[in-house]
Amino acid sequence: MSKLENKLLIDVGSTYFKLCTKDSVQQHFRDFNKDIYDDLTYKCGEIIKNYEKENIHICSSANGGLSTLIIGISNSFSLKYATNIAFNSGINIIDTVLYKDIETTSIPSDLIDVVIVVGGIDSVSNIFDEKLFKFLKELNYSNIVYVGSKKDAPYLQKNIENLVILPNIINDKLHVEEENLKEYLTNLYQADIMGKEDIKHLYDITSNQIFSTPYIVNKTLPMIDSKFKVADPYILIDIGGATTDIHYSKDLVDENMVTQNEYDRLVFKKLGVYKSKESLIFAAKNNEFVYELLAHLKVTENIFDESSEKSTRVLMQLAIFLVLCKVSAYRQAYVNLKLLALNSVVFTGGITKVLKQEEIEDIVTFFYKKILNSSHNPTIVMDNNYDVWTLGMLEK
Amino acid sequence: MKVVTGVVGNDIHVVANRLIELSLQARGFEVFNLGVNTYLEEFVDAVIETNADILLISSLNGEAEGWCREVKILKAKYGNLLDNVVFMIGGNLVVGTGSAEDIVPRFKNYGFDLVFHQVDLNTGLDELEKFMKERDK
Repeated sequence: MSKLENKLLIDVGSTYFKLCTKDSVQQHFRDFNKDIYDDLTYKCGEIIKNYEKENIHICSSANGGLSTLIIGISNSFSLKYATNIAFNSGINIIDTVLYKDIETTSIPSDLIDVVIVVGGIDSVSNIFDEKLFKFLKELNYSNIVYVGSKKDAPYLQKNIENLVILPNIINDKLHVEEENLKEYLTNLYQADIMGKEDIKHLYDITSNQIFSTPYIVNKTLPMIDSKFKVADPYILIDIGGATTDIHYSKDLVDENMVTQNEYDRLVFKKLGVYKSKESLIFAAKNNEFVYELLAHLKVTENIFDESSEKSTRVLMQLAIFLVLCKVSAYRQAYVNLKLLALNSVVFTGGITKVLKQEEIEDIVTFFYKKILNSSHNPTIVMDNNYDVWTLGMLEK
Repeated sequence: MKVVTGVVGNDIHVVANRLIELSLQARGFEVFNLGVNTYLEEFVDAVIETNADILLISSLNGEAEGWCREVKILKAKYGNLLDNVVFMIGGNLVVGTGSAEDIVPRFKNYGFDLVFHQVDLNTGLDELEKFMKERDK
């Protein structure tokens, strides 16, 4: 904790504030009728006033994040690479368009914070044409960035207003280059915070940049073993109020994506136990094993209609089961993880305050037995004290 | 000329894969090697991203039989983007025994232009160069 001397770390989540000092970590349930700044200073003002602005570090996942639309020319490279970089930059809401289908893709009606256009190695030209401009004209977006073939950049710049051009994320060996786009998206997140009434006042208490919480957690992963008994390969599951995140060791995937990062992140939007409760229940009802799981937990589906401590516990157990299903070979998703090679599963977020270690172990065992027909048993590690995000914050 | 290559499916013959890459480079091709354990869709996507002229799939343990049946479907999916790409496959293309007389037409029917079953690498690449010269005449 020596690095924490004189420092206060704050994580503004969608449902809780967490504060970390050199002595303790505390949490406060958010009052949604109040502005975030007012609520935070009302509940934690006494602590905050003891610290200088330069010693207060804040991360947040409470402002909904940036909504991102990626237009790329192939699923295995341009779309996959850009999606991966966006997830690792802390972005949760991502839609993709495969360029060959752009004319038949329905135009999203919501405001898109950032459009990412990508495709082709630098020696390729004439990838994009009028179809792209026509699509963009219909679209309502705030920012647009091009990270594809260098040869197409002047043509796109001439035809797209306010286009930001960054180096290609696909290098000449078809490997991913993530730093430039990652930095751009992280800065955009920062600018987005500055523009949001609810969040921007947080700069009244800190003179440091506010980062997105998932970005900070991703920074933490290479040093997680300084605090936890975690054996590689491992996954970290963060079940929140609105989304569920999985951060995973790259050893768990077989793919051609070569990056410098040891860890990547996956987001399951609308899979949270508070703000996304309804869609979690919907996903659960569509899983053929869920009724067996409910029977195993000695509850019926009536639990979905309840609003109690017990129902929250069951929802969290369901969330664990569903995300494991989604990343296993049982459900072909964006990434399949080699779960039988897994040594540890780290749990962080509100889940560690609600579920006991044995309740989580029970679900993980159930998953391995039912879905993977295996008695494999990875170690369950609980971040009961919300220490995971504090490690990354101190490194920033 | 650009070539995308790699070993299809759950086949990990990395030495053969490296030899193919070196031979192609020695003949002056620009090579994009996806390595072993590559899905069919990844091959096609790599061709799209690099605007390659040739897709050269290899298989040593017979994985090709199960993985390459959908070439025509993928070609149809990408339409004219793949019209000028030469699809080539070589190695040991089936599990067990089989004659080239049976196997070559089968793979051509899957959508390959050039098929080499149990033919040595240099002969296959000579044929590829001959094919490209004829085509570009």
